[in-house]
Amino acid sequence: MTATLLNVENLSVRFPVKRRWGQSTWLYAVDDVSFEVKRGETLSIVGESGSGKTTAALGVARLVPNSAGHVVLGGEDFLKLEGEDLRRARAKIQMIFQDPYSSLNPRLRAEAIVREPMDSIGTAPVEDRPARVAELFEQVGLRPEQMKLFPHQFSGGQRQRIGIARALSTNPELIICDEAVSALDVAVQAQILNLLRRLQRDLGLTYLFISHDLGVVQHMSDHIAVMYMGKIVEYADRLSLFNDPKHPYTKALLSAVPSVDRARKVERMLIPGDPPDPLNPPKGCRFASRCPLVEDACRAAQPPLDPVGNDHRVACIKAS
Amino acid sequence: MTDPLLKIENLRIELKLRSGPIPVIDDLSLELNAGETLSFVGESGCGKSMTALAIMGLLPEKVGSIGGGRILFQGNDMARMNPAELRAIRGNEISMIFQEPMTSLNPVYTVGEQIAEVLRRHKGMGQADAWKRATELMDAVRIPNAKARVGDYPHQMSGGQRQRVMIAIALACAPKILIADEPTTALDVTVQAQIFDLLRDLGRDTGTATILITHDMGAVAEMADRMVVMYAGRKAEEGPVEPVISHPRHPYTKGLISCVPHLLAELTEERPDLTEVPGIVPSLGSFGADACLFASRCYMADAQCRNARPPEVAFGPQTSACWKADIV
Ligand SMILES: Nc1ncnc2c1ncn2[C@@H]1O[C@H](COP(=O)(O)OP(=O)(O)OP(=O)(O)O)[C@@H](O)[C@H]1O
Ligand SMILES: [Mg+2]
Repeated sequence: MTATLLNVENLSVRFPVKRRWGQSTWLYAVDDVSFEVKRGETLSIVGESGSGKTTAALGVARLVPNSAGHVVLGGEDFLKLEGEDLRRARAKIQMIFQDPYSSLNPRLRAEAIVREPMDSIGTAPVEDRPARVAELFEQVGLRPEQMKLFPHQFSGGQRQRIGIARALSTNPELIICDEAVSALDVAVQAQILNLLRRLQRDLGLTYLFISHDLGVVQHMSDHIAVMYMGKIVEYADRLSLFNDPKHPYTKALLSAVPSVDRARKVERMLIPGDPPDPLNPPKGCRFASRCPLVEDACRAAQPPLDPVGNDHRVACIKAS
Repeated sequence: MTDPLLKIENLRIELKLRSGPIPVIDDLSLELNAGETLSFVGESGCGKSMTALAIMGLLPEKVGSIGGGRILFQGNDMARMNPAELRAIRGNEISMIFQEPMTSLNPVYTVGEQIAEVLRRHKGMGQADAWKRATELMDAVRIPNAKARVGDYPHQMSGGQRQRVMIAIALACAPKILIADEPTTALDVTVQAQIFDLLRDLGRDTGTATILITHDMGAVAEMADRMVVMYAGRKAEEGPVEPVISHPRHPYTKGLISCVPHLLAELTEERPDLTEVPGIVPSLGSFGADACLFASRCYMADAQCRNARPPEVAFGPQTSACWKADIV
């Protein structure tokens, strides 16, 4: 049995939103979400734009205000830490972002970018930091002479390697990758995905991986959480999710992906319309307004995320 | 055999750099038949969008100019047409939809006005008729409750709905050719599936030929009849989708297919590393060289590949510009 590294319990993140006549209200971008990630594994979060994937990740990394719930990392609740404990714990969670162009400070040399988290969090002793930077460059496949260059002197893929080196600099246990390969051309994307998997094997890293590309998710994940309007509607291990999806939304999502595999002739399940207004979520199942299986009971109460098998949970009263 | 709707012959598009002209499209030939869907695939910087802009007569003066070859639309060479002749074709007989619908729609006009404007300009319709037709078109692209939504401004619509409005504008004049440049990249897969279904149905109903520019081989497999793989401004491979995907004859095509993790009919525990195509697309400086421009990234390359541009070799309906095409 692999041990659990990250245990997220009842995480909610809300944003204040201005309405007409100066009133304001809360948008629940992530609404009472729980999941766990085992050490050395990858959990992916999928779901349509606006479903709350990024917000959930930011909530885990404690990078948004107005979060509630527990983010238990290696036994301590990250959301409750303060002062020196918080600073120490911050080193354990790092993020890699989508845009390798805007997420690097254009005025800093690559070596300074990679070194920065070590300086601000104070991980390695000062005299060890240059050697650590050199080691990181090698680990991500960059050449030593590139340490002195500025971000604009690198290609997109190389910039993403700098972002990875920076994330690795504090010896994190958990790395959050938010659409980390989405901006890259397919050939470069493959290079970065292979690098991420190799680093995971070599360093025992745990990933929280966000991508809208279900082929990439299939390749990278051990477990997958499917989000819809701030809720997890299905959680399963890789084979169960892709070979035996249970939630109608997951089925629709998978059936929408075009594939080169001619044998993969799934019947396309179209879901009509748009998701409901997030400021005014329905009382019952949030997918009810677009679900082909909907019945009255679905609109009455939120379905709980119940087990339907080993390592497989679904929030749908029609799924079992 | 009828003549193809569009025939590109030995097209060369040059970029004027201080060091001299660079061929960003280099000796490209292809044909598009009425009613068919042709896909352009390749990494960014390989000339897919440049080719599309040339077909639209939209090459920005500063970016590139046609340095040779012909673009025959129904037998007439667009490369030699004057701006007025091009304007009469553009948006009327050949139209285009882009990746980001928000930047191509005007935020200060309602979507209905924007569709109607195209009809007034190209079809000389009156205000009332154009408005009525705009509503019908929004209905045709399956925007629910079209009658009420024609008066909406772009920002009142979702990304998928805006892309549908773009399609409605592009289809307003029943064009013979629709060029779709990464039309679904900014959209969710569920919305992409709806847009693809829509494009397919419209193609079937109206006989419009489509050029689909995409980097997604899955989309090519589902949408296109034939495909052209472009690399560094040149055609690497061309052919019907099925044989090209199941047996590519160019190592670049092969790399593009195998470097992407696809969804499979039945997933297994097995997860080998992805095949890597090392390196990146060469810089413009090396475009035009008498060599295979893919050689620096190719696992098969030898001296011949580095010293002479490979000719096209045919394998039935498939062609490949590779010295080693027969053993790929
Ligand atoms: N800073 C913010 N203020 C107000 N609302 C926000 C803010 N950030 C996100 N939201 C809202 O929260 C919800 C979830 O957004 P989030 O960015 O987490 O979605 P996502 O799943 O990451 O989407 P995408 O696939 O587009 O990246 C959306 O309704 C979004 O509009
Ligand atoms: Mg996001």
